[in-house]
Amino acid sequence: MSKAAAQQRESRALTSFFGAEDIMVQQEGFQRNALLRNLLEHLADNHGLRNVDAYYNAVVRRENAMGTVLASGIAIPHARLEGLSQPYVAIATSEGGIAFEEGAPLTHLVFVVLIPRDQPGFYLQILRALSSIMRNKDAARTVSRLKTAGEVMRFFGRGDMVLPGYVCAADIMCDAPTVLRDSDSLKTAIDCFISKDLSEVPVVDGDGDMVGVVSARALMRVCLPEYLLWMDDLSAMVNFEPFAGVLRNEQNTWLSDILSGEYPAVQVGAPAISVAAELARRDASRCYVLNGGKLAGIIDLPVFLNKIFRE
Amino acid sequence: MINRGNIRDESLARRLVKLAVMACAVAAAGWGSRALGVAGGWQAQVAVCTFAGVICTTLFFWTHRVAAAFLGVAALVATQTVTLEGMLRSTELDIIFFLIGMMIIVGVLKDLGFWTWVIQSVVNTRAMTGLSFTVILCVLSAVLSGIMDEVSSIVVVLALVFQVCDTLKVKPAPFVLIAVLCTNIGSAATMLGNPVGIFVGNKAGFAFTQFLAVAAPVAAVALAAAVGVILFWFRAPIREMTARMARHREGHQGLGPPLRIPYRRGLLVLAVTVGLIAFHSRIEAALGLTGEANRNAFLIVTPLIIAAVLMICRPRRARDYVQNDVEWWTLLFFILLFAIAGALEEQGVTRNAAALLGEWVSGGPPALVPFVLGLSAVGSAFVDNIVFAAAFTPVVQSLAERSADFSVLWWALLFGACFGGNVTVVGSTANMIALGLLEKRARVQIAFHEWLKIGALVGLITTLIAWAMLCVLPAQAPAAQRGAGPGGGGGPAPAQALPQESAKK
Repeated sequence: MSKAAAQQRESRALTSFFGAEDIMVQQEGFQRNALLRNLLEHLADNHGLRNVDAYYNAVVRRENAMGTVLASGIAIPHARLEGLSQPYVAIATSEGGIAFEEGAPLTHLVFVVLIPRDQPGFYLQILRALSSIMRNKDAARTVSRLKTAGEVMRFFGRGDMVLPGYVCAADIMCDAPTVLRDSDSLKTAIDCFISKDLSEVPVVDGDGDMVGVVSARALMRVCLPEYLLWMDDLSAMVNFEPFAGVLRNEQNTWLSDILSGEYPAVQVGAPAISVAAELARRDASRCYVLNGGKLAGIIDLPVFLNKIFRE
Repeated sequence: MINRGNIRDESLARRLVKLAVMACAVAAAGWGSRALGVAGGWQAQVAVCTFAGVICTTLFFWTHRVAAAFLGVAALVATQTVTLEGMLRSTELDIIFFLIGMMIIVGVLKDLGFWTWVIQSVVNTRAMTGLSFTVILCVLSAVLSGIMDEVSSIVVVLALVFQVCDTLKVKPAPFVLIAVLCTNIGSAATMLGNPVGIFVGNKAGFAFTQFLAVAAPVAAVALAAAVGVILFWFRAPIREMTARMARHREGHQGLGPPLRIPYRRGLLVLAVTVGLIAFHSRIEAALGLTGEANRNAFLIVTPLIIAAVLMICRPRRARDYVQNDVEWWTLLFFILLFAIAGALEEQGVTRNAAALLGEWVSGGPPALVPFVLGLSAVGSAFVDNIVFAAAFTPVVQSLAERSADFSVLWWALLFGACFGGNVTVVGSTANMIALGLLEKRARVQIAFHEWLKIGALVGLITTLIAWAMLCVLPAQAPAAQRGAGPGGGGGPAPAQALPQESAKK
C-alpha cells in the first residue's frame, strides 16, 4: 500500500471531532480567560466531561507558557490531559475580535482542543488540517461573520480540512538559519560556528541541492585525528600544533573538500516518525528535510521533542 | 557481504536452515570419522561431533562461538570424553599468557605514542604518490603484524588508511583490502604475528630464530609477490590517489597535522621485547631451562615480564591495560577451543587421522607438504585460522613424532593457515576487524565475491610460493627434537642434518 493511500485511508475530516453544538458564534466583549472558561463549560455540558476547573487551568497555563495565536487571527489554545478517552474540540467566533495576547493581532476564531495525553501528534494534525485557512489571511474574519453554528459547520466541512493520517516532516520543520555554499571556504564555516554559535551548517551546491554538512565536531576531528588521541602524553601538541595547519589553510580549503555527505535527512512528505528514527539511528541532534535534493528545512532535536511531548 | 556479527537481522527461517545444515555437518563428521576408522568408540565420536559443532558455529553463528565452546566443553566433560584434568591440561594456558602479555605491551605502546609516531611518519612523508603509499602500506602492514598481533596491527594500519583517504576524499575500501591481505601474509613471519604462529611454534618447539630462518623469508617473498599482484589489481584507485595527492599538494596541504611525536620510549619497549624474545632460546639455555617441560619457557614469560615492568612504571593505567587492551572474549574462545581440540587427542582421533593420512599420501613429507598446505589454506579460508590450526596440530604432531622429517609439516600448517586467511572475508580475525572498521567509518561494505576474487588470487600465489620455498629452504627441526642445549635452540640446522638423523632412526 502506498504512503498516500495509507494516509487517505486513515485521515479523518476535521468536523468529525466536533458538532454544531460545540460551536459558539459571535462571542463579543469577552476577555481571553472568560471565553476559555465559557467554551470549556459548554464542551463539558455537551459531552458530560468533569473537572472543568482542571481543564481550564491546564489550558490557561499552556497558553501563558506559549501563546497559540497564529498571525491569521486564529488561536488554538489546547492542553494534554490525563483521563480523556478522545480529543474534544470547541470553537468560538468573534467578529469584533478578542485580545488573546498582548501585542498580537485580535483573534476572530478560537479552537479549544483537549487532547488525551497519549496522542502526541494530534495537535500537529489539527494544525495541518487548518493549514488551508491559515494560509488565507481573511479566512478567520470570514468565519467570524457567520451567524449560526450550522454555517460554521458547513465551512469546516469543506473537503480539504482533513486531519492527515500522520504528521509529516514538513509539519514540524523550521527554516535553516544559515546555509553555506560548497564553494565557500573553511574560514567562512569557522566564522559561522563562532559568530552564530552554531555547531553544524548545511552546505548546498550552485543549484541549491544539499550536498552535505560541515560541523564543528568534524573540524575537531580534522585537527585531532583519532590516532593522535591514542597517546597518553599530549606534550607534542601542547601549543595546539595540529590546529596550526588548519589555520594556515582555512582560506584555501573549500567546503566541498571537507564536508560530510553523511547526515540525517528525510523528504518533506515523510512521516515525522522517520525524523525520530533518523535522529535515533545516527545519534544526531539535527535532521535535514529535503524536497527532492533541495534543502527545505531543518528539525532540531529540542524542537522535535517540544512538538511531540509538549506542544 | 557476510556479516557474522549481526544475526539479529536474520529471519527465523534462515537461522533454522543454518541449524539444519549444522546438524547435517556434525552428523556427517561423526559418521565419517567412524566409517574411516578415525573415531572408533562412541566417546571419540562425541569428541569429533563437538569439535565439528564448534567449527560450524564459528562459520554460521559467529557471535555465539564462545557460548558454543562453553557447551562443547560441558558436553565433553559430562560424557567423560575428557576428564576435568585433561581438559585443563589442554587449554594451552602458556600460549594464553603469552598473548595476554603481548596485548598489554601493545596497549602501552599505544599510550606511549609509538603507533601514532608510525602513522605520523607515513603521513609526513614528502612527495608521496599513490604507488609509494600503497607500497609503504603493504610493507608496514606486514612488518607491524610480524612484530605485534595481527589484530592490533590492522587497527593501527587502518587508522593510517582512513586518515589519508579521508583527507584526500578517496574511497578507502581498496586500501583496507590491501592492508588486510598484507597483514595476513606478514603475520606468518614470526611467532608474534598470529595466534597460529605461537600455537604452532610452541607445539612444535620451534625457537624464535627458526621462525626468522624459515617463516620470515617465505613471508617476505610472498609479500613481494602479493605487492606485485596488488599494484596491478588496484591500479585504478592507486592512480586516483596519485592524482588527488598531487592536487592536495598544490594547495600546500599535508595529509595530517605536521607533528613531532616522541617515540623513543615506545621504540625502546618494542626493541627490548623483540630482543628478549629473539634470544629466548639462548637465555633459556643460560638459565638451565632445558628439556620438554621447559620448552620455550622464557619465550612465554618474556611478554609477562615486560608487561609487569610497564604496569609498575604506569600504575594509574595498569588496570586499563588489563581490562581494555586484552581481548578477553577472544582469549576465552581460544582456551575453550584448545580444550575441545585436546579431547580429540585424548580419544586418539588425531593419532588415527595421522596414520590414515600417512597411508593415503605416499611419498613421505615432500608429498604431504602440498597436501597440508592446501588443506589448511582451504580450511582457514572458511573457518577462523586458529580453529583449523587447533584441529590439525595434533595430526601434524603425531606425524612429527614418527620422524623429524615430518617437522616441515608444521611450516606447511602455519603458512596454509595464515595465507589461506586471505581467501575469504571470514578467513581471519583481522579480516573481520577490518570490515567492521570500514563499515563503521565509511559505511561501506565489501561484497563476499569482490573479496574472493583478489583474496583467492593472493592466497593461491602465496601458498604456491610457500610450497616452493619449503622445498628449497634448509630443513628446520624443532629445538626439542634436535636436543636442547646452548646451541640447540637458536640457529638453523644444516640442510642435510635431518635426513641423516632420520636415517639413523
